[in-house]
Amino acid sequence: MFARLAFRNVKRQIGNYLIYFLTVMLTVALMFAVNNLIFSSELKRFSDMNQSLKDGLIFMSMFIALIVSFVLGYATSFMLKLRKREFGTYMTMGMTRNNILSIFVLETMIMSVAALLMGIILGLFIYQGIMAVFANLLAIEFEFSEYSSAGLFLTVVLVCIMFLLASVTSAVYLKRVSIYNLIHGEKKVEKGIRYPALWRMVSILSLAGLLLCIYYFNDGLDLVFSDVDRSSKEIFGSLAGAAVCLVLFHIGLARSAVHFLMKSKRFCCRGTNTFTVRQLSGKLSSNSVMIGILAFLIGFAVILVNVTFVQKELERMELDKRYPFDINATVNRENKQAISVSDGYRIIEKYRKINNCIEFQTYYSGSGYFYEFTPWSGDGYEGITDVYMKESDYNSLMEALGRERINCGDGFYLLANSPHILQFDFSKAVIEQEGKEYRYLGIIEDIPFNYWGYFIVLVPDRLVSSMNVEADCAAMDLEKGSFDVRSMNDELSYVYDPEGNDEFAYNRSDFDIKEYTRISRNEISAVLVVGAIYMAVIFVFLAMAVLALKTLAGLSEDKRKYEVLFRLGTGERQQEKTLFYQIFSFFFLPFALPLLLSIPTCCFCTKIMKMAGHEENLKVIYINTGMIALVLTVVYVLYFFATYLISKRNTVYRI
Amino acid sequence: MNQILEVKNVTKYYGNGSIVTKALDGVSFSVEEEDFTAIMGASGSGKSTLLNVIATIDRVSAGDILVEGRSLTDMREEQLSGFRRDKLGFIFQEYNLLDTLTIGENITLPLNLKKVDAKTTATELNRVAEALGVADQLGKFPCELSGGQRQRAACARAIITNPALILADEPTGALDSANSGNLMKTFVQMNRSLGSTILMVTHDAVVGSYADRVLFLKDGKIWSEVLRGERTRQEMYQEILSVMSALGGDTGVC
Repeated sequence: MFARLAFRNVKRQIGNYLIYFLTVMLTVALMFAVNNLIFSSELKRFSDMNQSLKDGLIFMSMFIALIVSFVLGYATSFMLKLRKREFGTYMTMGMTRNNILSIFVLETMIMSVAALLMGIILGLFIYQGIMAVFANLLAIEFEFSEYSSAGLFLTVVLVCIMFLLASVTSAVYLKRVSIYNLIHGEKKVEKGIRYPALWRMVSILSLAGLLLCIYYFNDGLDLVFSDVDRSSKEIFGSLAGAAVCLVLFHIGLARSAVHFLMKSKRFCCRGTNTFTVRQLSGKLSSNSVMIGILAFLIGFAVILVNVTFVQKELERMELDKRYPFDINATVNRENKQAISVSDGYRIIEKYRKINNCIEFQTYYSGSGYFYEFTPWSGDGYEGITDVYMKESDYNSLMEALGRERINCGDGFYLLANSPHILQFDFSKAVIEQEGKEYRYLGIIEDIPFNYWGYFIVLVPDRLVSSMNVEADCAAMDLEKGSFDVRSMNDELSYVYDPEGNDEFAYNRSDFDIKEYTRISRNEISAVLVVGAIYMAVIFVFLAMAVLALKTLAGLSEDKRKYEVLFRLGTGERQQEKTLFYQIFSFFFLPFALPLLLSIPTCCFCTKIMKMAGHEENLKVIYINTGMIALVLTVVYVLYFFATYLISKRNTVYRI
Repeated sequence: MNQILEVKNVTKYYGNGSIVTKALDGVSFSVEEEDFTAIMGASGSGKSTLLNVIATIDRVSAGDILVEGRSLTDMREEQLSGFRRDKLGFIFQEYNLLDTLTIGENITLPLNLKKVDAKTTATELNRVAEALGVADQLGKFPCELSGGQRQRAACARAIITNPALILADEPTGALDSANSGNLMKTFVQMNRSLGSTILMVTHDAVVGSYADRVLFLKDGKIWSEVLRGERTRQEMYQEILSVMSALGGDTGVC
């Protein structure tokens, strides 16, 4: 009998169950996709090579399971609230609590099974979408990715566990609640906010705190870039402070905004304003912590996606900047274990023809004179020596790259990639040789080969005649086309044992292959980008689902209220307007400020780009930030309108 | 006296195709300013339908309804909303106070809808709250009040805009006899002291006896009419009972 009743209830209440069904279905789809990702054979190949990748995936799956359990629990409690009065009526007719629980569990089980099946079907497509993004980020060709039975099994098991947990929570509630509360629960006196002035103060102070944290973050960024020895304590401190302020601001706002608006008699006596504000009042005050958390999640999503995209972009630009040639060899003359440049040529030629090769040397004088103008001198920095490069070698490289030659004349330049170097004053630096003084001419931020030191002194050719060769270098361009870059790198690597006792031995290559670096970095950044987007999607989806469920849970009550408004002379359009403001305010309170955080995020991203020496590519950052904000807003607005339209259909009273 | 309401040959059908119910069948009557009229009848006689079409929350199938000489049947949806807001006051059986609003906010809601300024709103609120004895309940929420207090608050909300016509649908339906009596005294006070024109639907003979005029509906038609004239309330009550006996059917009289 209960099964029949449950089936009939589901059929009859399909409108109410729709939002529950959609929420569970989307959650299952996202979970199924990520579970398949964990067991994906393609990804396993990468993750075997990188432990942090593997850890990241496990963390992501655990995190999603946590979110899923929250959403499912929330959706179930929403359904329970929606049906409270009906269950109370069943109980007055003599049904036992166990009977009610059986009906409710059966109903939610029917919907959950349907949502599970639909979610898995949707998840099949989402998974392929994620794999396509992965392939794109890894710059490999996208192929149909196979589904894993383990992923399916894990999804079903997780959904069953979540369903059981939600059922247990419902059972505990139904066992304890009185029949009166089931029937009249919503008629409880609305509890007024205590200390609204205090919460307003919290809100104002939090906003001021947030702005202060943004200021300190900016300051911290300057310090970290200008001072290499500086810890990033300020950065992380201000980020943590901003997160706390963001949450507190929204809690304070949710608890004081209504009180503040109610104080304005002029505002309240206009149309349905008092009604709208009172409608919001209960929702905001009882959900203030949730609104704070949602604001944090959305803000986190906005910042995370922006930063990840910038990091990816920065990485691409850095690669092009640091690797103007396909292969860059730097073989130290003192390293007897190293593979020589000529041996390197033979290995490289086995894989790909060398189209162009420029050989050059770096030199050392034995002193650390130039380091005395930086903090890297004195105690603890003994043994650091200046490295020099000939003007003609530099110009050969620049010519090969189609860039402008440089003329040192009777002076010298410093070649530096690091923005830290720019702050040091080398103007008093002088090189004396054979009674002649060579003066400092400035810093050139364009090193045409991959160099890991802080700076190189670029001098006229005659100055290096008395110096020793530090390293034999070569810059090579290969014939276009693909080759087995991993094998090439393996062959160019050797075991370097600086002490000769195996204690500090490690695998090393003096041949930096641009393609190999790009692939290695892509594997990490692909996971970062996909992980960030996925987390952002889940955060935003969670926020939207919770807000929609909260709004729709009050539909039956709202319907009665809007009928009263109609009878009092509120036309259809004014009712729609009132409902729109009511839902809009609730939906956008936790969304507006986090979205606005796109602006400082964009400013910081451009600043980082500038500091990293990529000023010419700032347009990409603006486009990225704009696109992310736009996509988030569009998705959010769509969900808002869906909620609004369902509410309008069910609430606005007309003849 | 000015004529406030004129119901002209109003007919209302429900349903379509082969199953059609005639809820009102050529009903005609008029209500003058400061009248207190009750409509009585058995369940299904059409009294609530009649109130709904006058309240413009339902449309007539045929006939016309005029309030202060203005036809309601020609009005569009937005005009009807404005009409309800400006000309009508409502009192319902279930009070229909909004539980998220305080009593004061509930009472002033019709003025807010008319966009009356804050100062006038406060003055009017004091006036009706004092008149109906809810002045000390304004800051409370509806569920903190008794049924009688809630219904008095609903009355205050109905008269705050000085409407041309107050419509009451079984206003004592959710009250005990003591509170019913008190509410009817309030209605009489509203009618006599504040000059309100009231049209009330009830099936309770005691409640009907407070009105100056009672219209009896049967099968969607006006079947009879009782006028108070110089009679006392007790005499009016006896007259209503005798008409109801003659009317037969389920009149709600035990």
